[in-house]
Amino acid sequence: MKLELGFIKIEDVVLGSESKIVDGVLTVDCEAVKKLVLENDKIKDVQIDVAKPGESTRITPVKDVIQPRVKVEGPGGIFPGVIAPVDTVGSGKTYALEGMAVVTAGKIVGFQEGIIDMSGEGAKYCPFSKLINLVLVIEPIEGLKQHDYEEAVRIAGLKVACYIGELARTLTPYRTKAYETPTLTEGLKLYPDLPRVAYVKMLQSQGLLHDTYVYGVDAKKTLSTFIYPTELFDGAILSGNCVSACDKNPTIVHENDPVSTELFEQHGKTINFVGVIITNENVYLADKKRSSDWSAKMAEYFGVDAVVITEEGFGNPDTDLMMNCTKIEAKGIKTVLVTDEYCGQDGKSQSLADSNPAADACVTAGNANQVVVLPAMDKVIGTLDYVNKIAGGNENSLRPDGSIEAEIQVITGATSEVGYGLLSAR
Amino acid sequence: MHVCTVTPISLTVGANRIVPAIAIPHPLGNPALDPADEKKLRRKIVEKALAALCTEVDDQTVFDK
Repeated sequence: MKLELGFIKIEDVVLGSESKIVDGVLTVDCEAVKKLVLENDKIKDVQIDVAKPGESTRITPVKDVIQPRVKVEGPGGIFPGVIAPVDTVGSGKTYALEGMAVVTAGKIVGFQEGIIDMSGEGAKYCPFSKLINLVLVIEPIEGLKQHDYEEAVRIAGLKVACYIGELARTLTPYRTKAYETPTLTEGLKLYPDLPRVAYVKMLQSQGLLHDTYVYGVDAKKTLSTFIYPTELFDGAILSGNCVSACDKNPTIVHENDPVSTELFEQHGKTINFVGVIITNENVYLADKKRSSDWSAKMAEYFGVDAVVITEEGFGNPDTDLMMNCTKIEAKGIKTVLVTDEYCGQDGKSQSLADSNPAADACVTAGNANQVVVLPAMDKVIGTLDYVNKIAGGNENSLRPDGSIEAEIQVITGATSEVGYGLLSAR
Repeated sequence: MHVCTVTPISLTVGANRIVPAIAIPHPLGNPALDPADEKKLRRKIVEKALAALCTEVDDQTVFDK
């Protein structure tokens, strides 16, 4: 399967009365966006704002971050099974808007939504501080249940991202990159001497506002399966979860799947990247056993020499991580795990809730319990009402001067377990 | 002793007696059942836990029978 990805650079985003992209400037028709969002009668109102890198602006509580894309050639459309009809995506040609994102925010849904600071200490930890963010602050109707509100916000963000992406359909990308995954048999013939590597991508699926969708299917109701990495680039997997801000995968992270992108870089050179095995993180022990059995069975069947396993979230999914690791290692396949740590504010506690001697090659994305002080910002998009309640905050986090002392857990994407974050030992 | 859904974590952290629970969001119940059936389920887990406490063990033991 082959996909050509074209990148349209966005240098500025302005609010106006007509939607268009001219010379790298995206103008957004606020009335049109508002109309699109308010198509859902569960949404009472939406405020539209723009936050730019370097500004003294704080966005919170952040639910999702989405990169606008448009499918210009090949079957299907972006976010198949949710926005576009169900059809296998991942081939043909897709354009992505680079340098900007759609961010959904508003009254809190759960207790694990995050903060994006556009400057200051927080911006050093947040990959989304580097983007021009078109922010939708969504207000639900009175009495709307949390899960209905989450769904309404999720769909609104995706619809707006597709609406913006559509503006790029007739533009010319400033750079393009082709990604191709051969079939198993073709790959063996093409690269007979290269080690074969798969990516085992764990999807957050604990339920109760911790869900991920695959072609529109709730991941907790799925068995582990194969997916071409380029399907991810067309939005086949998207976030519906309010798990801890620092280590959840917002939709933009799935669209740009960093592990697949890096494995593609080495594909045909040092390794043969055979594709992605997706598996879930459910709350029943039997599900954890079944799903990890299944991912190990697929890794064995694909005849790979090694896998990279990434986790989403923390706590009980650490057990899914260890089960995937030990069962795949037991098949004689090498594993490398990518995770983050919750080893206490002093860094002295056990990093993961579960462990196993087979997990002897781990990459850490940082300690989510690390404490930072985020300076007050001149402007707040959304509300500071929930800063003390979100995971990583405490009753004294928000100080009278508007500054915040909290764990980096509160910062969206700070310890991304797929390597989308900024923390690095390099 | 632990009454715990994710028994591998109980094993990792060194619990001696481990009784499996239902699910992480509802370890001692199941909201999918009607109240009478759920009461029976809850009682069964508590009784199993009490029995486990009264059982001599010489190694980490999961009471999953």
